Amino acid sequence: MKRHDADKTALFARRKRFNRLAIALSMGAMLFGLFWLAWILWETVSIGLSSLSVAMLTESMPPPDEAIGTGGLANAMMGSFMMVALATFVGTPIGILSGVYLAEYDPNGKLSASVRFVNDLLLSAPSIIIGLFVYALIVVQFKEFSGWAGAAALALIVIPITIRTTENVLALVPDGLREAAYALGTPKWKVITRITLVAARAGVLTGILLAVARISGETAPLLFTALNNQFWQASLSGPLANLPVTILQFAMSPYENWQQLAWGGVFLITLAVLGLNVLARALSREKLK
Amino acid sequence: MIEKHLSSQFDSDLNDVCSRLMEMGGLVETQIQRTISALAEFSVDEFNNVVDTETRIDQMEVEIDRMLTAVVARRQPAARDLRLLLAISKITTNLERAGDEACKIGMRVKSLVESGKTRQMPIGDLRVASNLAASLIQRSLNAFARLDVPAAISIYKEDDLIDREFKGFTRKLITYMMENPHIISSCLDLLFIAKAIERIGDHAKNITEFIIYIVHGTDVRHSKLEGIEAIVVH
Amino acid sequence: MMPSGAEKLAPPAPSKIAVRNLNFYYGKFLALKGINLDIPANRVTAFIGPSGCGKSTLLRTFNRMFELYPDQRAEGEILLDGENLLASKQDVALIRARIGMVFQKPTPFPMSIFENIAFGVRLFEKLSRIDMEERVQWALRKAAIWNEVKDKLHMNGASLSGGQQQRLCIARCIAIKPELLLLDEPCSALDPISTARVEDLIAELKNDYTVVMVTHNMQQAARVSDCTAYMYLGELIEFGETEQMFLKPERRETEDYITGRFG
Repeated sequence: MKRHDADKTALFARRKRFNRLAIALSMGAMLFGLFWLAWILWETVSIGLSSLSVAMLTESMPPPDEAIGTGGLANAMMGSFMMVALATFVGTPIGILSGVYLAEYDPNGKLSASVRFVNDLLLSAPSIIIGLFVYALIVVQFKEFSGWAGAAALALIVIPITIRTTENVLALVPDGLREAAYALGTPKWKVITRITLVAARAGVLTGILLAVARISGETAPLLFTALNNQFWQASLSGPLANLPVTILQFAMSPYENWQQLAWGGVFLITLAVLGLNVLARALSREKLK
Repeated sequence: MIEKHLSSQFDSDLNDVCSRLMEMGGLVETQIQRTISALAEFSVDEFNNVVDTETRIDQMEVEIDRMLTAVVARRQPAARDLRLLLAISKITTNLERAGDEACKIGMRVKSLVESGKTRQMPIGDLRVASNLAASLIQRSLNAFARLDVPAAISIYKEDDLIDREFKGFTRKLITYMMENPHIISSCLDLLFIAKAIERIGDHAKNITEFIIYIVHGTDVRHSKLEGIEAIVVH
Repeated sequence: MMPSGAEKLAPPAPSKIAVRNLNFYYGKFLALKGINLDIPANRVTAFIGPSGCGKSTLLRTFNRMFELYPDQRAEGEILLDGENLLASKQDVALIRARIGMVFQKPTPFPMSIFENIAFGVRLFEKLSRIDMEERVQWALRKAAIWNEVKDKLHMNGASLSGGQQQRLCIARCIAIKPELLLLDEPCSALDPISTARVEDLIAELKNDYTVVMVTHNMQQAARVSDCTAYMYLGELIEFGETEQMFLKPERRETEDYITGRFG
C-alpha cells in the first residue's frame, strides 16, 4: 500500500513537470508571435499618428518633394472606397447565391464537388495572379487601366471567400430547423430565405466583412488594373488612385513628404481592417437575439 | 424468473420478494400443521407457539407489501413483472387470512379441550378435510414457485372436495346436536373449525387463480372452471 | 395459437392512417420491412422499440420527410383517409400542411414568438391582422403556453426555455390546423416538469387531432398513448391497445422489451 502511494506521488510529480514544460513551450511560441505583431502595430501607430493631419484626409496627392504636411490621400481613399464598394456589391450576391447552392441545393453532388475544388483554388491563388488575369481580360481589351478593372479584380477575391463562409455557416444550421420548416409545408425558397439564411445571418455578415477587410488591403491585383492616379477622380473610368498602390509607390519613392503620406495610409488601412475585424467578431458573437 | 432483466438489481429485488413470500407460506403451512395435530390429539401444548407465529405472519405480510411498494415505485414494472407483483400482493393477503383461520382453529380446539367433551365428537371427518386443506396450501405455493398452471388447475378442482366435505359435515353436526343438546356448544366449536378449514381451502384456490393471472394475464376470479380451462388451453 | 401481433389489427376506431406493405430503404439498406398498420383517428398512438428499429423512419414517411434526402425511398402505400400519400400527385407542401410534425430538439425559427406561429399560417392563408392575432393566440392557448408568452410575443423564439420552445413548436403545428400530429421523441430533450406539461398537452390534443408519437421512454408511451406499436429491426412486432401491451402483450419479444429483458 505504502509503496503504491509512493509510485503514485512520483507519477503525479512527473506529470506536473511535464505539464509545466508544455505550458512554458506554448507560452513562448505565443509570445514570439505576439512580439512581432505588437512591434508592427506600434510602428504603424506611432509613425502613422504623427503623419496624420487634416490635409491628409481632405487634399489630393501632392507633387513629389514638396514640404511635409501639404497634400493628402483623399483621392486614394475615395478610389479605394469606390472599388471596394463595387467589388463587395457585385461579389457578395454571387458568393452568397453560390454558397446557398452548395449548402442547400446540392450538398453532395458532383457539380458541387467540382465547384468547391475550383473555389478552393481561387481562395488560395496568389492575388497577383488574379490581377494579371483581369489585366489580360479587361485592361488589354480596353487598352486602358481603370477603376472598373480594379473593382473586377477585387470582386474575384470577394467571391470565393463569401462562397466558402456562406456554405460553411449554412451547413452549421441544424437539419432539424430545416426539417421543421419543410414539415409545415414551406416551399424551399422560403425555407432558405426566411429560415436558414436568417439563422446563419451573423455568420454570413462576418464572412462579408472579412472579405471586405481582405480586399481593402490588397495591392497586387490593383497594380495591373486600377494602377494609380495623382488626381481627384470620382469616376471608375480611367486609372484610379487607391490606398494600397499609393502606399507602395510613395513608400518606395525617395521623397520624404511621400514617405510620410505612405505611413499615414498604412495607418488608415490598419485602422479600417482592425475596425472591420472587431465588427465581424462582435457580429459572430451576437447569437440569435 | 426465467429470463434475466438488463438490470440485475431488478432481478434480485424480485427474487427477494418471492423468497420472502415463500418463507411466509412456509410459516402458514406450519401453522396449519400445528392446529391439525392439536385437533387430532386434543392437545393445547402448542397453542402459545401458534399465537407467536400468527404475529410473525402478520409482520411478514406488512413487510412484503413494503417491498412490493418499493419495487413498484422504483422500477415501474410492466407486463409479466407487473402481474407478478400484483399477484404476490394478493397472495400475501390470502396467506395471511389462511394463517388467521389456522389460528381460529387453534382457539376453538382450546375451547373444546377445556369443555372436556372431546370424546363424543365426530372429528374423523375433520381430519381428512384439514389434511386436504393443508396440502392444497402447500401445493399452491409450489405451483406458484414453478408458475405451474396445470398444477394450479388441479388444486382449483380439489377445493370442491373440501366444500362438499364441509356441507356433509354440517349435516352430520346437526344430527348430533338434535340427539344430544348438551354438546351443542362443542358442536358449534367444531362447526367453526370446519368452516375455517373450508376457508383455508378457498384461500389456496385463490392463490391458484393468481398463478393463472401471472402466466396468462387473465383475471379468472369468479369465473367458471370451464372458462378457466378454455383460457389456459389457448 | 394466438394470432401474431402484427396481424391483429387496430382497436375499434376509424383509422386515420393505414399503412400497407410499406418498405423503406436507406440506399440499399432495407429499414422497414412490409409494415401494415392502422392508426386510429383521435387517439394517441406510440411507436416504441430499441434504437434503430425504424420507428422514427416510419413516422417520417407519413409526411414524406425522407424526400429531402436523395438516397431514401419508400414503396408501398400510406393511406391518409384513404388517399395514398406516396402516390399522390399533390404538391408535397400541401400534404405536409395537413400533417404537423414536432421534433426531438425544439426548433424555434429565428424570428419572434408571434412570427413563429404566423409564419406557417401565412403559407396557406391570407388573414387580416386581427384574424392573425386571434389565430396566434388560439394556437398558443391550445399549446398551453399562452400565459407564459403573452407579454413577450415580440421576443425571439430562442429566448424561451427548452420546454417552452417545444410547446411553441407544437403551437406552430397546431396553428395551421393539421389533421395529424407527428411527434418524434418530443420530450427527450426536456426536464421532467416540461415533459409532464407536454404529455398533458398531448392528452388534450387527441380530442381534435390524431397523434402519432415516437418515444424511447416506455413509461411515457404507457402514460400518454392509447395504442402502442412495438417495432424491432424494421418490423412491426405487435400493435394493440396500450393497456393490453403493458399488462399482457401477446408476443414474447414485446414482453421482453417492455419488462427490460431485452438484450
